[in-house]
Amino acid sequence: MLPQRMKKAITDNPKKLSNLIDLVNLPSTLREFVGQSQTSRLGCFMRVWSYIKTNNLQDSNNKNVVICDEKLKSILLGKARVELAELPDLIKLHFPKSRK
Amino acid sequence: MGKIPASLRPAISATSLLKNPPVIPKDQLGKVPIKRNPTQPSHKILQPQQPQPQHNQRTLFKSRDLTEAKKIYTSFISTAKAPPDIRFHNSFLQSYASISTVDDSISLLHHMIKTLPAFSPDRSTYHILLTQSCKSPDPSLHPVHQTLNLMVSNGLKPNQVTVDLAVRALCSAGREDDAVLLVKELSLKHCKPDTFTYNFLVKCLCKSRELNGVYSFIDEMRDVFDVKPDLVTYTILIDNVCNSKNLREAVRLVGVLRDCGFKPDRFVYNTVMKGYCMLNKGGEAVGIYNQMRDEGVEPDLVTYNTLIFGLSKCGRMGDAKKFLRTMVDAGYVPDAVTYTSLMNGLCRDGDVLGALVLLEEMEAKGCSPNTCTYNTLLYGLCKARMLEKGLELYGVMKEGNIQLETAAYATLVRALCKEGRVAEAYEVFDYAVESKSLTDVAAYTTLESTLKWLKKARNQGLAV
Repeated sequence: MLPQRMKKAITDNPKKLSNLIDLVNLPSTLREFVGQSQTSRLGCFMRVWSYIKTNNLQDSNNKNVVICDEKLKSILLGKARVELAELPDLIKLHFPKSRK
Repeated sequence: MGKIPASLRPAISATSLLKNPPVIPKDQLGKVPIKRNPTQPSHKILQPQQPQPQHNQRTLFKSRDLTEAKKIYTSFISTAKAPPDIRFHNSFLQSYASISTVDDSISLLHHMIKTLPAFSPDRSTYHILLTQSCKSPDPSLHPVHQTLNLMVSNGLKPNQVTVDLAVRALCSAGREDDAVLLVKELSLKHCKPDTFTYNFLVKCLCKSRELNGVYSFIDEMRDVFDVKPDLVTYTILIDNVCNSKNLREAVRLVGVLRDCGFKPDRFVYNTVMKGYCMLNKGGEAVGIYNQMRDEGVEPDLVTYNTLIFGLSKCGRMGDAKKFLRTMVDAGYVPDAVTYTSLMNGLCRDGDVLGALVLLEEMEAKGCSPNTCTYNTLLYGLCKARMLEKGLELYGVMKEGNIQLETAAYATLVRALCKEGRVAEAYEVFDYAVESKSLTDVAAYTTLESTLKWLKKARNQGLAV
């Protein structure tokens, strides 16, 4: 079942998928946060999201908002408060489209 | 599996009062464990060449070193009081073969014969080597030929079991084309495949080849070796073309099958019907049902389930319910598949309340919902903008560790985002990833595109 779904995703849009899961050399700011020199956009998102969860950075009054600590600020444009909804877009900024 | 909470029911009280459903103690439902008959050992009877020493298999050989293995064998022989029977030797060889190379296994066999002249390898001894050589990483058929030659030179002609073992081993290693070559060669020299081997190979070829490639294999087997396709072969072919939505070819195949003197049976009809249902052609599916009746082929549970699924899918709920009654009259008990198909149809119509009534009826009859039922209902509830009820159901699913399906997941995430509950959407994303319902990629892509959509909707002032 799953491989087939995977196959479909690839045949549907191979570029979009590679953009999501290809390993990319990270810029220095991100490298410090992730602790690796290479990761995929998906991996990076997962890392940031789990960082938010483990450090309880969601606003207790409004869970949709993340209150950034210094470390998070450094990679999210220095914003103090970030909406969860814009998280994927903010991370995308570190992964410019035209590579190679 | 979890139980649908009672609090989901008030939503349906208005409708269910009219129907006066039977009161059933809820806590007894959905909990009935399906006891499996303890018949597992029966499988072992089919494999006589793997007796007791199997337990030692893991520890017997620590390395694939040949001299080591020979030493172990010699020590076994010298310490054993009575001469062990052939099954002992075979399983000894088997356990070595499972970790070594083909050449080493053959050398070990030679060593075994030399040390103990009383041991004469039988067919299954060579079959062990054959299976191993089929699974060997060598891309050519050389190791297979090597073992077959060894077998023949020891006076054992390959028989149908040999062919079957080789074909299955090759196919499971994804080497269908080699399997075809080997079957042709063996048919020419020794022995033709039996119908089971043949049909198994056709089924594997359907997955790996284009349709024409499969046909050319069938034609060649018929013209050269006089191995004719039977009703099962045709059913496999029809199933294959139906799954690729090529119904015209399916109908042609039914014609061919009749020309060959076969009478389509229940399985053929069920398969064709499934094909029509997948294409939302309810009318044609009913046509097949009528044809079955005309020809005196008794419909079974699968027939009715397919028909109800197809009719629900293309929105003909009235007909679907009619067939539900026909089915019950014919003595078949509707199962989770039947009910889920109907619920799916009702949800498509936007009648979630009707689907919940059906859930009640289903549970009252002692039929517990399955993963698909939960997902259908979750999808329906979210579509019908009954998010709170949907979340409640989602909670139950989470508790019971029930996996989410793509559609249900996407609808739930979208419904949550629409309400501005992005954090909860992220939680659903986490559950989908944790429970391995979807791949990380699929789950994330859905979340990302939904958030993108949300941004757009917010800009247009459509969402919170």
